[in-house]
Parts: sequence; structure tokens; C-alpha cells
Amino acid sequence: MLKTALVFVSKRKLSFSKVKYLSPTANPQPQEKIQSFRSVEHDPLKHTYNHVGQFYNISKEDRNHLFNYGGLPKTYLTQAKTFNETCVMIRQPTIDVIECLKNIDYAKPAVRFVIYGKKGSGKSLSMAHILHYANRSNFLVVHVPWVGNWMRRCQEVSNSDTKEGFINLNVDAAAWLLHFKTQNSHLLEKEDLKIAQDYVWSKREKTEKGSPLLDIVNHGINRIKFASDCVVIIADEIKKLSNSGVCKTLVAIDGFNAFFYPNTRVFTEKKEKVHPHKVVITEAFLNLTKNDWKNSAVIVTVDEIAVAEEDQISHMPRYLLGKEGFEHLDPFVPIPMENYNQKEFKSVMDYYRDRRWITPYPGQDEEVSALSANNPYNLIKVCAPL
Amino acid sequence: MLKTVFNVIKTKHIQTNQGLQCLGPFTTQACKFSNTSQLCHSEKQTHEEKQNISKAMKAYLDRAREHDEFMNEQNQEYQLGKRHLANMMGESPETFTQHDVDNAIEYLFPSGLFEKKARPMMKPPEEVFPQRKAAEFDETGRPHHFLFYTGKASFYQVLHDTVQHIVDLNRFEDAMIRKGMRPDKDQKINLSGYQWIDKDSLEAKLVETIGDKDYESFVQAFERLCSLPYSYKVKDFIMEYRKPLMSQTKAHDAPKPQYDENGRAFVTTYECLRKSARGDVTIRSPGTGKISINGEDITYFDLLQCREQVIFPLLFTNMINKVDIEANVEGGGSSGQAGAIRWGIAWGLRSFLDQETIEKMRLAGLLTRDYRTRERKKPGQQGARRKFTWKKR
Repeated sequence: MLKTALVFVSKRKLSFSKVKYLSPTANPQPQEKIQSFRSVEHDPLKHTYNHVGQFYNISKEDRNHLFNYGGLPKTYLTQAKTFNETCVMIRQPTIDVIECLKNIDYAKPAVRFVIYGKKGSGKSLSMAHILHYANRSNFLVVHVPWVGNWMRRCQEVSNSDTKEGFINLNVDAAAWLLHFKTQNSHLLEKEDLKIAQDYVWSKREKTEKGSPLLDIVNHGINRIKFASDCVVIIADEIKKLSNSGVCKTLVAIDGFNAFFYPNTRVFTEKKEKVHPHKVVITEAFLNLTKNDWKNSAVIVTVDEIAVAEEDQISHMPRYLLGKEGFEHLDPFVPIPMENYNQKEFKSVMDYYRDRRWITPYPGQDEEVSALSANNPYNLIKVCAPL
Repeated sequence: MLKTVFNVIKTKHIQTNQGLQCLGPFTTQACKFSNTSQLCHSEKQTHEEKQNISKAMKAYLDRAREHDEFMNEQNQEYQLGKRHLANMMGESPETFTQHDVDNAIEYLFPSGLFEKKARPMMKPPEEVFPQRKAAEFDETGRPHHFLFYTGKASFYQVLHDTVQHIVDLNRFEDAMIRKGMRPDKDQKINLSGYQWIDKDSLEAKLVETIGDKDYESFVQAFERLCSLPYSYKVKDFIMEYRKPLMSQTKAHDAPKPQYDENGRAFVTTYECLRKSARGDVTIRSPGTGKISINGEDITYFDLLQCREQVIFPLLFTNMINKVDIEANVEGGGSSGQAGAIRWGIAWGLRSFLDQETIEKMRLAGLLTRDYRTRERKKPGQQGARRKFTWKKR
């Protein structure tokens, strides 16, 4: 009799203080709150359209593995550090791409996706989500965190020995090799990624045919002088390996339009401006984004921020890529990245409230929504002092 | 008044003259001098008929004649000037009104001076030169008014009348109580929406200068009179010294919304101004809270403060998700543009709101145009007000 009464009480959710419990075990523990903004599924392989608008957690290991050397926007990183978890929202365009990647016929030439959208609409984070998916489904990931770092704020410049009139970005190329090595450490250790020809670096240094791809990566990291050439070679080798079916490759390049934007900040010794096509590593990634190979997919973002401020007129791919770049990528699948919709916005606000990042007050959502125009980046900025 | 005085002098044997009437109740002294010809004429007669004229009266008459001559001259000049002006503007001098004169002056002598009084003007001399009191004493130098020697005859006359009314009303009240009757509640004097005329107006009305203390006692006396139960019997007297309060919201009626091809109501506010920004704002209802400024969303403004400015009227009226806003704005900086849009939105929203909310908006200052602009830098100074650092040596 008592038991039934208790069940009744707990179902009606009456306040517990009114009921006298005979033993502490009879006191029902408050159930964990179901948070609609948090996805129950944290594996990107299992994300579907049902999860759109919810947050999923990237585990610490995955994050260190994938984004240790860049790949997540800085503003987002500071927030992730504050919240002590790397939660990414599952968004419609991301799921679109992931669904496509699941269903593509990899025997056909590479499909190219171009993610575009206004500033701060979540292109890079969407790409991070896709990378996480690719990593889980054992793609060989060729990821460039931000091309703008090379073309607009490069670290060291030297003339190329191997190619007349070309420029090497030694430090940047080596850093990318390290990034590539960390992201694909589990695949590179496998034996089957072998190179198809001999590479002679100098009189004494030589990489023989049949040695693992990791050797070239390590060579580039150790001998910075050859880093740029290593990147080109790796790109070439990966294409060959993918074509022969040894591995599946996902090329992900953030800020791809910087490869076609002539107004770079790379200067020669004579202080002459260098066109991106005169930079050695450009060749590698232009090579990778062609569709003359199979067993692969290419995802690039085009971003206004990758070009100089005076040229940030439109966010559309045709403008940002220019004629040359557009024809290079054509045909591609355009993926527009929009601002948050109502559901997504509500979810973010709930998440912030749950993290105690913002203090709730009546009418907050409407005001914040209007102030930020539902733009993810603006929302972060608006909510920061709340 | 003067005229009547001289009427007395001229036709002294006529019994029903106005002068005598004026002496009794002493209604107003704010009369102007009569014209000179009549004055001179009457003066001659005065000299002939009356030899025992007082010195005060003589001095007064001289002054009056001078003044009259002066005014006459000014008036002729004005009339001539007006004709010239009409000819210059190519209009008929006969139908040229004072309004046309003002317009012509503004056109011919454009002035950027801030103070309106300092700008060029051409007004009839009566408006330019202050009015003067007429004679307060007769030819023998004897004052007309029994309070003349107080120095503020008309002011004390007003107080005197007030007290007289109080006494009368008290007496009347006693009589009514004796009869067992009560004051009529329906007729009770309603003073809300009015205030006592201010000191300057009172001075102008009495043609006398009064002090602050005097004004205080004026207000006290009238308050006392008003507090009496039968004060409605002297309503006319009281109302002479009251003026309506500042008219509340000058009834700028909100325009009726128009309807576009989709059947949505819309209102467009043109000439939204702030600093040097100019814009127009269209409000569409029903909407979903979409804001477009020069074709962009609210991120057109980088500053958060500017965005807050734009959405404030919508938040204030709780219309944020019920209307769509389209704004075109140009000129000025971001805060000026945001202010212009804010005013435009608030102004246009009136068409979709009830009177109560509009009044709230008015009190919040949303419907008030902000006229502040940048103040110019002055030569010899560091800025508009700031002076250069002063060092003794």
C-alpha cells in the first residue's frame, strides 16, 4: 500500500518534503535532468538529422589527436576552455556533408564540397565536426587548418632550390607536416602506406622506393629546408596510394580561397609580392583538390577573412575564388552555412545557461537574438559579458 | 487711456465721457499713446484753456508727444520699407503681409546665427518698441488711481480685487449657510490643466515691474480665493490669470498603415534625422523581427551600443518579433545612423500601438527628436569649450 502511494507521489512530482519516508532507500533520487540541447550520441559516425541543433562532446583524446595544432577557431577555444569541454553543435549542413560522405561511390573521381557562408557562421567548426567523423571512419585526413596563416602571416620565406622562381615556406610547411603526422598517427604507423618511387634529397640523403610514407614526413620535419618539397611529394604519394585503394583520403582545407588571392603578404628578398601559385606548398594542395583521383573526398571552405579587409565584399564562392579558382574546383557541391535558426539558437542559449555562462532574465532570448542577428560568432561576443 | 484723458480735456463739459468711466473700475492701463496730430491739437487747446497745468503733466505731455512722433516716423519708415521689399520680391505692395516680410528678410539676409533674436528682422514698430503706460494723473497732477503712490498701482489693484472677492464670497457663503444651502458641486472650479501665469506674463499684463515676493503674494492670494467653496462665482476673474499647461503630446497623429500586395500593413517614416545621418524606416506588420539596414542585417553596426539603440524601441514596446524593419540610412557616423533609425522605428511604431504605449514611449523620450549636434571648434581654443593649457610663464 505504501509502495503504491509512493509511486503515485513520484509520478505526480509532488514535493518530497510532504511525504514522510520510512527509510532512506525509499527516498527516490532525483533523476538526471534530460537536457534537450545535449545530444545523447557523441560518436560522429552515428549522427543523423535527428540530432540537428544539439551539442555533442568531442572527447579530450580526440581533440588532442585532431586539433592539437590548430583546426578550432580561437574564440571558440577560449570558450571551450572555460566550459571545460569541447562541445560542438551538430548542424544541418554538416550532417548533409557527412551523409554524402557515407553514400559516395569512392570508385568515382573525388567529390568536392565547398562550404561558404558569412563571417562567423560556423564554417570552421562544421569542418572540425566533419574531420572528427573522417577520423572515426578511418579516412586519411589531409587537413589545412587555415591557409591564411601561410599566405597572409607566414613565418619564414626562402627561395626554392628545386624549382626556379618559387618560394618555400619552411617553418609553416614543417608545422603542417607535424600536424599531418599527429592527425594520422594511427594510419601512418601501418605498414601498407609505402612510397612508389625513389626521392634523392642530396648526395647523401635519399628515400628509397617502398619505404613508409612516414619517412618523408619525418624527413620534412627534421630537415626543414626540404619541408615544402616533402609536402608536395606527400600529396603526390597520397594520390597514388588512394588511387590504388590502399587508403581513403579526406582533404579538408579551411580558407581555400587564399590560394587564389594574389594580394598575399609573402615577400621575396627583394620585397616583391609573391603570388600564391609561386609558393611551393600551394602546388600540393591544388593537386589534391583536383578530381583526377578516386577513393577520396575534398572539402574546402571559402572565407572572407582569408582575404584582405578591403576586398571583403561578398562571401560567395565565385567572388572569393575568382575565375581561376572557381574553374579549378568546378564542378563542386556548394554547402551554404547559415546563421542559427530558432531551434539552434534556443539550444545554444540553453547550453550557456546550463554552463552558467549567462544569467537568465525575462526576454533575454529575444534581445540577444536581435542583437547578434543569430550569428554564432556574434552570439559568443554578445553573451560574453552577460 | 491717453485718448480718453484728452477727450476729457477737449470736451470737458460733456458729461458722458470715457475718462470718467475709466476712473472708476480702472480696468486696464495697457493703452498705447494716441497719434500725434490729435495730441498736438489737444495740447494747444490745453494751453489755451488751462493755464494751471502741473509740471508733471507738462513733462509727461512732452514725453508723450516725442514718443508719438518717434513712433509715427518709425511707422512710416516701416510702411515704406515694406513697399520696397514687396517691389524687390516682385509682389504687390498692397497685399504684402507681415508673413511675406519675414520670408523676404530670411531670403535676402540669410543668417546662421544661433540666437533667433539676433537675426535680421523687420517688424512693425509697435512690436519692436516696448509699450508705455499712459498718464496716470490728470492735468492738475492728481493721480487717477487711489493706489498710485504705492508705485505699483495695477498690481495692488489686482490684489485689492482679489481680497474684495474673498470677502464677498465669505459673506455669500454665510448667507447660504443661513439659508441652509450648499455650494453646487457640479460647478466646482476645475483648475487642473492650468497654471498661474508666470511673472513675466503678469508684468506684461500689468505694464509694471514686480518683484519675486510680489509674485508670491499674488499666487497666494489667488490660491486662497480658489480654495473658497463658492469660488466658481468669480471664475472669469480667476481664469484671467491662468493659462493652460504645456500642451501634452502635440497631437501628431500616427499615420494609418498602408497595405502592400501581400496584405501586410506598412508604415514608412521619412526624414529620420540624428546628427548628420539621414534615413527612412519602413515597418511591416505582421513580421518575424527581421531587421535590414541598407540591405544588411543588424551586424551593419559593429558596435553593440548601436545595435541596442536600434532594437530599443522594439524591446520597449514588446514588438520585437511582431514586425519587420527596413531602413535606409546615409551620412554621419554609426551612432548617428543608429539614433536616426531608432527614432524612425519609434515614430513608425505608433501606427501599430495603443495610446497608452505611445504615451509611455513619449515619456521614455523615444518620440523626441534629438537635436544635439557637434559644436564647432573655436579659434584660440583647443576645442569647442576647452581652452589651451594656461601656464603662467
